[in-house]
Amino acid sequence: MKRLLTANWLLFLFFFSGCFLFFEINYRFMYRFMEQYQLFLYTTNYFFDLLAQPGGYNEYITSFIAQFFFFPFVAPVCLAVLLTAIGFLFWLFIKRCGVEVSALPALLPVFLFWVFPVESIASILSVLTGVASAYGYTFIRKPVIRYSSGVVFILFLYFLATPAHLLAAVLFGLYEYCSGENKRRFAIGAGLIILALLLPLVAMRTLYIIPMREAYFSKFLYHPEYPLPTSFWYTWCAFPLMVLLVYLLRNRKKVFRKDWINGFAICLTLLLIIGGGIFFRENPLEQVYRYDWLARQQQWDKIITHAEKHPAKDQDALVYVNLASAYTDSFNKALMRFKQIGEDGFIPYDPRTRLGLIEAEEVAWTVNQTNASQRFAFVGVLSSERCVQPRLMKRLIETYLVNEEYKAAEKYIRILEQTLLYSSWAREQRKLLQPEVAESTPWIMAKRKLNPVTDNPHDLTKSFPNAIAFLIDDHPENRIAFEYGMGYLLIHKELGAFMHYMKALNERGEALPVLYQEAICIYYSAVEQNPETFSSFPIDPAVYNRFTTYLQQVRTLSPTLLARQYGDTYYYYAQSVQPPKRQNR
Amino acid sequence: MKNETKRKVVRIAVIFILIINLLALLFVFSACSHRPENPKLTNEQPAIFPDYKEVTVPPNIAPLNFRLEGDIQNCYITLNGENGSSFSYSGKNSIRIKPKEWKKLLTENAGKSIKITVSSQAKDKQWSTWQAFNIYVSNDPIDSHLVYRLIEPGYEKWHIIGIYQRDLTTYKEKPIIKNNMTAYNCINCHSFCGGNPQQMMFHMRATHGGTYIITDNEIQKLNTKTEQTISNLTYPYWHPSGKYITTSVNDIKQFFHAVKEKKMEVFDIESDVVVYDIEKQAILSEASIISKDAYETFPSFSPDGSWLYYCSAPALPMPQQYDSIRYALCRVPFDANQGRITAGVDTIVGNDRFSASFPRISPDGHFLMYTETAYGQFPIWHKNAEIRMIDLLNGNPVDMSAINSEDTESYHSWSRNSRWVVVSSRRDNGLYTLPYLAHIDENGQASKPFLLPQKDPDLYDYLLYSYNLPELVEGAVTVSPYAIQHAAEKQSAVQVSFR
Repeated sequence: MKRLLTANWLLFLFFFSGCFLFFEINYRFMYRFMEQYQLFLYTTNYFFDLLAQPGGYNEYITSFIAQFFFFPFVAPVCLAVLLTAIGFLFWLFIKRCGVEVSALPALLPVFLFWVFPVESIASILSVLTGVASAYGYTFIRKPVIRYSSGVVFILFLYFLATPAHLLAAVLFGLYEYCSGENKRRFAIGAGLIILALLLPLVAMRTLYIIPMREAYFSKFLYHPEYPLPTSFWYTWCAFPLMVLLVYLLRNRKKVFRKDWINGFAICLTLLLIIGGGIFFRENPLEQVYRYDWLARQQQWDKIITHAEKHPAKDQDALVYVNLASAYTDSFNKALMRFKQIGEDGFIPYDPRTRLGLIEAEEVAWTVNQTNASQRFAFVGVLSSERCVQPRLMKRLIETYLVNEEYKAAEKYIRILEQTLLYSSWAREQRKLLQPEVAESTPWIMAKRKLNPVTDNPHDLTKSFPNAIAFLIDDHPENRIAFEYGMGYLLIHKELGAFMHYMKALNERGEALPVLYQEAICIYYSAVEQNPETFSSFPIDPAVYNRFTTYLQQVRTLSPTLLARQYGDTYYYYAQSVQPPKRQNR
Repeated sequence: MKNETKRKVVRIAVIFILIINLLALLFVFSACSHRPENPKLTNEQPAIFPDYKEVTVPPNIAPLNFRLEGDIQNCYITLNGENGSSFSYSGKNSIRIKPKEWKKLLTENAGKSIKITVSSQAKDKQWSTWQAFNIYVSNDPIDSHLVYRLIEPGYEKWHIIGIYQRDLTTYKEKPIIKNNMTAYNCINCHSFCGGNPQQMMFHMRATHGGTYIITDNEIQKLNTKTEQTISNLTYPYWHPSGKYITTSVNDIKQFFHAVKEKKMEVFDIESDVVVYDIEKQAILSEASIISKDAYETFPSFSPDGSWLYYCSAPALPMPQQYDSIRYALCRVPFDANQGRITAGVDTIVGNDRFSASFPRISPDGHFLMYTETAYGQFPIWHKNAEIRMIDLLNGNPVDMSAINSEDTESYHSWSRNSRWVVVSSRRDNGLYTLPYLAHIDENGQASKPFLLPQKDPDLYDYLLYSYNLPELVEGAVTVSPYAIQHAAEKQSAVQVSFR
């Protein structure tokens, strides 16, 4: 047991398991979400196009791995393997520098990937490449060969996995400094660092026409349109700083005399860090990523079930809950069951974010505003970091098929055919490029039947009620658009406009959902007292009786009791709940 | 292990590797030399992409590589010049013509044709030889470079865009400026003085906003919004003297359609035409066409600089009447010495039935090419947009049906010898605009246009950018992208005046 406590492999085992649990518990859906922002193409051009850019090879490997994040457990396993490998190689490197330490100090910088989780593993792969190269460098004994290899390493690392060359150069320099402590080796180390720093400038003038940031740090690690996050500096500088630190403290006495007590203390410290990370770290977007994932799988009922236990944390999640309600035919119930915030809970306003654009295209597709769905999908693709988004490309294909734009659909089908995950789907869609096949495909015909016929300039995200009104006027049978429209009117208590639609619905002889019946009851009770017209609506006796009981009890029951008994009814909402503020759209 | 044994192992390993390499080479070589065996002759021409069948090409164009459509296992192609030389190529489903051999063919057959015979092997190993087709080689060379903006054909958002130059005699493409070097701003409306690569301009919007005029690698950054004009300078055209640039100033808006037949509408709620004097750094009031009751846009000069052409429409309320507004093509006489308009408006094409945009006159002054659409002035989203041409010597329209397709044709630019045009077209997929080159003979007869050739014919399949504003220029633009970046970041914009 005492020997076990001093074994470093145990620390790596703890760390590996901790990584897996940390990412599986806190970031399970984030990496599935991020999968759709990579598109690995099985073409030679894709490989060579990437190779022609600094850090392109690293990106090639990144996107190859990321395509499997779609599957359960792949991302956490992959991250655990990569991070443990970094920690392990870094520990070996420290030992090669002549410092005998436990694995804990080597693992501490890797924990920064827990503190600042990365959306793409490009950064992790690049660090791994840098650390692995530094470790490999220490094995070359003959100085001249080692220095020359250092130069070659830096050159290769720059083209393949920049900024790994910077990390590697600094670690080369530190190795020369730590393991030799003579001026010549120090100068060589400094020379390698200078080479790594100058190389991007030389490349900019000779090989690439790119901005300086991309030349130094590649465009693949973080979104190139935004400033480099400070977490990048913390994470990348932590490795050389840790080497320096352990080197400077190498002769300090151990805290405890006995090795096994030291080992126990180290294990305990590591487990505390891991436990703290797992239980106290929370991804605020995990709920919406979960809903997005379920929406991709069309598991709408699971969104509802989850939302019943864990109320929607933000408007993005609420958009998915409402969308799921529409798909599961429970939109009217959801209006009273889940706290509503108005239009923003139906569709995001003028979406610019990744999630906003996906939500907007999903809602537009669901209410059969095909053009808007196509637009948001298109903008979602082009504004993404790598200008690819296979899930939205799939939606583009669907919208082009619905709109009979077969050549545009084929363009995207051809691209998705070159992927692993989407190729079979794409091949299925290829059959639909023949108009006669498309015309005999039920989902296409159902969409075409509900496509708008009256042109109008209303943007679904900016003037939601007007855009929805056009959809309903064109196709009153467009159930989901109708429910969204009525939802808007009911939430904002616009009962006059609501009754206009109810009269039309009644004239068509269609059945009225309970929520609408409740709204009609309160309308004819509080706004327009016209028993004759009221009696023309097919109000269920149970609904009516409950409403009359409510009217009798409304003044006698305490507010809490009233809410408990009638909180799920529209008349309670109409009389007791403040409507959401109307968004300034 | 003894040294002798070690040597033996190494020797065997080296020999093994050499054999493997040799076999690999043999495999590659054999794969490249598939010749059709007992081919079945067909009466049809092969389906190829890009469609280079029966096209006319300039004698200085890069090789027209293409691929065969359909399930093809191997292909074999022979190119027979009318004047002698013959070359054959084979491949999987596409061919890469050697530039040297292609150049020889073009040089030998200028004014003649090259006959191309395609054989293909299907999955069942059966070879078919398709009916041969011709590529006609013109005696008229095309300008050596094409400058265009690559942009996602998006709606309201851009991400990565750049202005690029492509050497038409090879496949080399170089950026002139990319927006990843200038804070991902919008870069647009590049324009050259008479196709001279040393005299160009373009705009940047948002960060580093301004109009950039580059003369012999000297960069001038301008703030072109004045109190008297409604916006920054927009759609430009250089005066042949290089002293003036005419542009429109526009208040541009857009909206999105709800019906499947239309996508989006871009329209002006106000627009005028102005002339900018480069030396005086001033917009010239006497040369500008500013009126409240008409929208003026898309100006250009005649090749002799004595006429200012532009499009004009009555100022209808927008967007209410977006589909009723039609632009006429007009011109006014321009005195380049005094920098002013000297007489009234002359209408070249009326707006009673259609709407005109992008007037461009051939450098020899013979033809006026423009884009015609049912309404409005932004034809890129109008499927009915077509290229039209007028013979300015007699005022008669010239048939352009050879150039047009069922989809959108929009922007166009002439080569310096007036024998070639590049036309933006969405015929390939209805969404991404690609540049098509077409020959126009001295009588105005257009040949079948051909898609800008690429080394890899599959490139267009995976390209998610449109070729925007293709401009033919006589040589390479030599200004460094870093110099433009430096000017954008460090230079302060000179405020232009209005006088």
